[in-house]
Amino acid sequence: MNQPEILQLFRVEEKRSKSSLRQLFAVVWAQLKMMLAYKSWLVMDLLSTLASVVMYYFVGLQVDPHQLSRSGWGTSYLAFSLVGVATSNYLWACLTRLSHSIQHEIRGGTLETIAVTPINMLMFFIGLTARGYLVSLIYLVGVFTVGVYGLGAKLSFTPQSLFVFIILFVLMLVSNQALGLVAAGIIMVYKRGDPLVFILAAVNEFLAGVLYPLELLKRFPALQVLSMLFPYTYALDGMRRVLILGASVFDVNVLTDILVLGVFSMLLVPLGLKMLGWGYDRIRREGTTSSY
Amino acid sequence: MDLKVEDIVKYLAENIPRGGVGPFEKAVAFIIRDFKIWWTYKLWITLDILSSLTFVATYYFVSMIITPQALIEAGYAADFLTFSVIGISVQHYVFTSVSSLSDAIREEQWNGTMETILSSTTSFRVFLLGESAFRFIIGSYFLLASLGMGVLLGIRLVLNPTSILAVFVLTILLVASHMVIGVLGAAMILKLKQGDPIVWAFSWLTQLFSGVLYPLGLLPDWLKWVGNAFPLTYSLDGLRRCLMNGEGLDSPMIIGNTLKLILFIVVVLPFSLWFFKKSYDSTRREGALGQY
Repeated sequence: MNQPEILQLFRVEEKRSKSSLRQLFAVVWAQLKMMLAYKSWLVMDLLSTLASVVMYYFVGLQVDPHQLSRSGWGTSYLAFSLVGVATSNYLWACLTRLSHSIQHEIRGGTLETIAVTPINMLMFFIGLTARGYLVSLIYLVGVFTVGVYGLGAKLSFTPQSLFVFIILFVLMLVSNQALGLVAAGIIMVYKRGDPLVFILAAVNEFLAGVLYPLELLKRFPALQVLSMLFPYTYALDGMRRVLILGASVFDVNVLTDILVLGVFSMLLVPLGLKMLGWGYDRIRREGTTSSY
Repeated sequence: MDLKVEDIVKYLAENIPRGGVGPFEKAVAFIIRDFKIWWTYKLWITLDILSSLTFVATYYFVSMIITPQALIEAGYAADFLTFSVIGISVQHYVFTSVSSLSDAIREEQWNGTMETILSSTTSFRVFLLGESAFRFIIGSYFLLASLGMGVLLGIRLVLNPTSILAVFVLTILLVASHMVIGVLGAAMILKLKQGDPIVWAFSWLTQLFSGVLYPLGLLPDWLKWVGNAFPLTYSLDGLRRCLMNGEGLDSPMIIGNTLKLILFIVVVLPFSLWFFKKSYDSTRREGALGQY
C-alpha cells in the first residue's frame, strides 16, 4: 500500500449506526463474545452454582423446622435460602458490575478510545452491565432448577406467582442498578472506590436476610432499622412471600413491598443517572479518562 | 553529558557483579515489597475485613435456627456458631491465600512486570515462595479478625497448652498443604491466563465436601470420599477438635489428621513442582509469559 492509498482509506466515510439500540446491542454482543472466550471459567462457574445449592441443602438438614416456621417462612430452609441465594447474585451484579467494568476499561486504556467514537455513552454503560446480568441469569436459572427439580425445594411457580415475582424482580434490578450508577460515577472520579461498593453489597446481603429470617434481627433494633434502608430487603421479602408462601399481588405485604420498591426506583434512578453523568463529565474535563 | 554509541554499548555490556543475595533474602524482599504495596490500600484492607466479618455475623443469625444434633453425633461440642465460624474463617483464609497467588501472577502479567522480574537473576521458585508466603501472612490477619469477631459474638474456644500446641502444628501443615495447591493454581494461570480451574474447583469442592458448614456425617456415604482428597477436610476436623473439644496431639483423631496432611504434602508437592516447571517452560517457549 502506498501513502495516497492509506490516506484514502482514512478518508472514507464509513456508515455508522446512529441507533442507540443497535449500539447497545453491539456492546452487549462484544461482552457476550468476551464472556464466551473463557469457556472453562463458565463451566467452573456453573459447577460452583450447583455446589452452592447443594451446600445449603446440607446446611438445611441442621435447621430446626419449628424455629424457621416460627418466623413465618414455612419449614423448608432449602426453599428459604434458595430464593435468597438465587437473587443475591443479581444484587452484586447491579451494585458492582458497572463500576468494575469501567475501571477495567480505564486500566486497559480503552475508555478514552471509546469516548472519542460517536457512541451514545449511556448505551455503552448499560451494555457494560450486560455481562453481569447474563452470568447472574445463568446462576438464577441454575439455582432454581437444581433446587426445585434436583433437591425437591417446594416453591410456587404458577403463572400468577411468576408474574408477581417478575414485577418484584424488575423493581429490584432498577432500584439496585440505580445505586450501581451512583457508585460508578463516584469510582470514575476517585478511581479507588471498589472496596466501598464491595462492602455496600456485602452489608446489603447480610441485612436483607439472604440466609436467615429477618425476624431474628428484632433483637437488634439498630440493625433492623438499617436493613429497611436497602431496596433489596423489600424485594427479597416480596419474592419469598410469593414463591414460598404463594402470596398474590393483592397480599398487603407484597403490595407494600412493590410500593416501597417503586418509590426507591423513582428516587434513585434520576440520582444514579445524574451521578454517572457527573463522573463521566468530570474525568473528561480533567483529562483522567485513562488514569487509574 | 554526551554519550557516543560506543560508550552506550560499553555501558550496557558492563558486567555488574551480582550474587551475595540468597533465595531467602529475595523471598523476604518480595514479602516486604508486597507488604508496602498492600499497606497503601488501607481503606481497602479495612473494608475487606469488614465485608468478611459480615459472613461471621450472618452465621451468628443462622445458628439461632440450627439444632446441634448433627454436631454432637460427629463428636464436636454442641455449638454451631463456633463450628461455622472456624469453618468459614479457615476456608476463607486458605481460599484467599491460594487464589491470590494466581491473582499475583495475573497482576504481574497485566502490569507487564512479569517478564522484567523473570529476566533478572531471580528464579521463579523464589518469586513463588515470596508471593505465597506474603499471601498466607496477610490471610492470617483476616483469619484472626474473623475469629475475633466470633469471640465477640459468643463463640467458645477451648484454649489450653495442649490444644494450642496442636493448633500450631495443624496450622503449619494447613499452610504447607495449601501452598502446594497454590503452586498448581499458579501453573494453570500461566497457561490459561484467566479462570484458574484449580482455584475454582478447590473453592466449590471444599465448600461442599470438606465440612465447612456441616459435619461430613450428613453427606451420603457415596459422597464422603470426595472430601478425603482435600487437606482442608483434615485440617478443619483437627482444628475443630482442638478448639471446640480441647483435644491435643495425643488424640487418635488429631494424630490421624496430622499424618494424612503430611502424606498429602509428601505425595502432591513433587507433582505440583513438576507440573509447574512444565507449565513455566512451555509458556516461556511460546513467549507468552507476559501475555494476559
